[in-house]
Amino acid sequence: MTAVAALIRTTDIATRLAMLVLALVVAAALLAPVLGIADPLAIDPTNILASPSAAHWFGTDELGRDLFSRLAHGGRVSLAVAAAAVLLAGSIGVPLGIAIAFLGPRAEGAAMRVVDVFVSLPEIFVAIVVLAFLGGSLPALIGTIGLLYCPQFARVSYGMARSIRARDHVLAARSLGAGRLWLIRREILPNMRSVIAVQASLTFSFAMLMEAGLSFLGLGVQPPTPSWGQMVGTLKNYIFINSWPVLVPSLALFVTVLAINIVGDWLQDRLNPELQR
Amino acid sequence: MSKFIGSRLASALLTLVLASIVVFASIHLLPGDPVVMLLGEQAGSDPEAVARMTRELGLDRPLISQFLTWAGGLFQGDLGRSLRNGEPVLDELLRRIPRSLELIGGGLLVAVALGLPLGVLAARDRGKLPGMAASVIAVAGFSAPVFVSGILLVLIFSLWLNLLPSSGFVAFSEDPLLHLSCLVLPSLAIGINFMGVVARMTRASLIDSMAKDYVRLARAKGLSRGKAMTRHALPNALVPVISIIGIRAGNLLGGTVIVEALFDWPGLSSLLVSASFARDYPLMQGSLLAIFAIFILISLLIDLAQGLVDPRVGTNGG
Repeated sequence: MTAVAALIRTTDIATRLAMLVLALVVAAALLAPVLGIADPLAIDPTNILASPSAAHWFGTDELGRDLFSRLAHGGRVSLAVAAAAVLLAGSIGVPLGIAIAFLGPRAEGAAMRVVDVFVSLPEIFVAIVVLAFLGGSLPALIGTIGLLYCPQFARVSYGMARSIRARDHVLAARSLGAGRLWLIRREILPNMRSVIAVQASLTFSFAMLMEAGLSFLGLGVQPPTPSWGQMVGTLKNYIFINSWPVLVPSLALFVTVLAINIVGDWLQDRLNPELQR
Repeated sequence: MSKFIGSRLASALLTLVLASIVVFASIHLLPGDPVVMLLGEQAGSDPEAVARMTRELGLDRPLISQFLTWAGGLFQGDLGRSLRNGEPVLDELLRRIPRSLELIGGGLLVAVALGLPLGVLAARDRGKLPGMAASVIAVAGFSAPVFVSGILLVLIFSLWLNLLPSSGFVAFSEDPLLHLSCLVLPSLAIGINFMGVVARMTRASLIDSMAKDYVRLARAKGLSRGKAMTRHALPNALVPVISIIGIRAGNLLGGTVIVEALFDWPGLSSLLVSASFARDYPLMQGSLLAIFAIFILISLLIDLAQGLVDPRVGTNGG
């Protein structure tokens, strides 16, 4: 607990605010089913597109559903999809990157050129095509986003694995007969942790934006399950009737992604100070 | 220099080949039968009709042979015909490519016009209020999803100020002024997001350059800090800014997906989305390939521009 307190004391005000926002968002998402808030799917035709009131703190959507409740439940979906996609991307990308680092110079160059191409191609277009065929089920969504971001993990873990492999003490260990698996387990993985953590925070905000974008287009999370991007996509059609409801999920997304990016920057400065510009 | 251009062209070509394989594979290896979709519920349940249609479209042939036919067609400018209306895919693409390029150009213009001054401000007044404000604006722009900034722009400029159309498209030849006014909000929506990228890079790179010996020399000669920055540090700081524009060109393109949907702009991305919903796979393939080709072209141009600005890039193989 004292470690946590010390950690918080050494951070600047923006980062502390961002952490607070993230904690609130995660808590709301985790606790949504037990908070005793309105049913996110209960429609009320007599009270549609309402502005905030005592009964509906954040107003209602085009079917009269409570926006506060939909925001909490939608956040649950958005965060869960992003987290699962990051986990998938990391658990494929990291071993792939390490494996490439042991291929030998020729094959390494060729493999990394291919990885670089996949890192550079804009992912969302591939996701649109794939999801058009697979339909917007949650596993399809997670699988698609996760696979599209695994080259980025492969890229950073390849770079790390290569630089660690060339360090003097690792060379010494190898000349004494240390095997590859020993090297990976004892030297490469422990030294990579902070870089992977930063990459994960970056990818998390990308994955969230990707899910939001796809759901906005109608290709991601399918109704009646709410997600923030999908709510924006539906409510934008009513912007001229009442501009309030569409702002609710929009601002939630913006604030959350901003908080993730600020915490990500802080993580980067803290864990990899040598990479700072 | 010619060696540099050659290696850049080669890598662009490799990317294009890989991209076309991705395009073809992502459409043909996935489940979901376009023939059944095309015939509709009723005829789709008739196996004979399905078999006939499959044969007519050449979908019964092995994948490799389908790929070779498609790739061969590419070289002759033949991208097949839309399954829906039988129109050549290429015609539709040629109609839409300029519209998407307009959005990308507009977005880039906004991003550079706002991002550069913001980055310079953030670097110059680092630790002071204006500089911190500039940094915050940059991170906020970068974190705002394109549809959030788009919706805010619609609210401000269409609903409240009633200055610009909230969505739609009019051909330039029909009404040039209306065409341009329809272009403003989508360009801003894309540009504000990318502005954050440009500003952050400008700030980082300028702070870096300010610590270099040649700037210290200029200061020692008696040049003011502002002049040393604009005359000596800034030109050198621009090289990484140009390169980040190339690296993040994908963001710019990805932004068009949301913006075209939000503003009803009939460009390439909205073609890909509508073709995907209809599973019109020749149109999907064509539009995806066109998008990737534009992306590769932008990256290539940025690379070459970097070679021109920074002569060192060409010479030491960088």
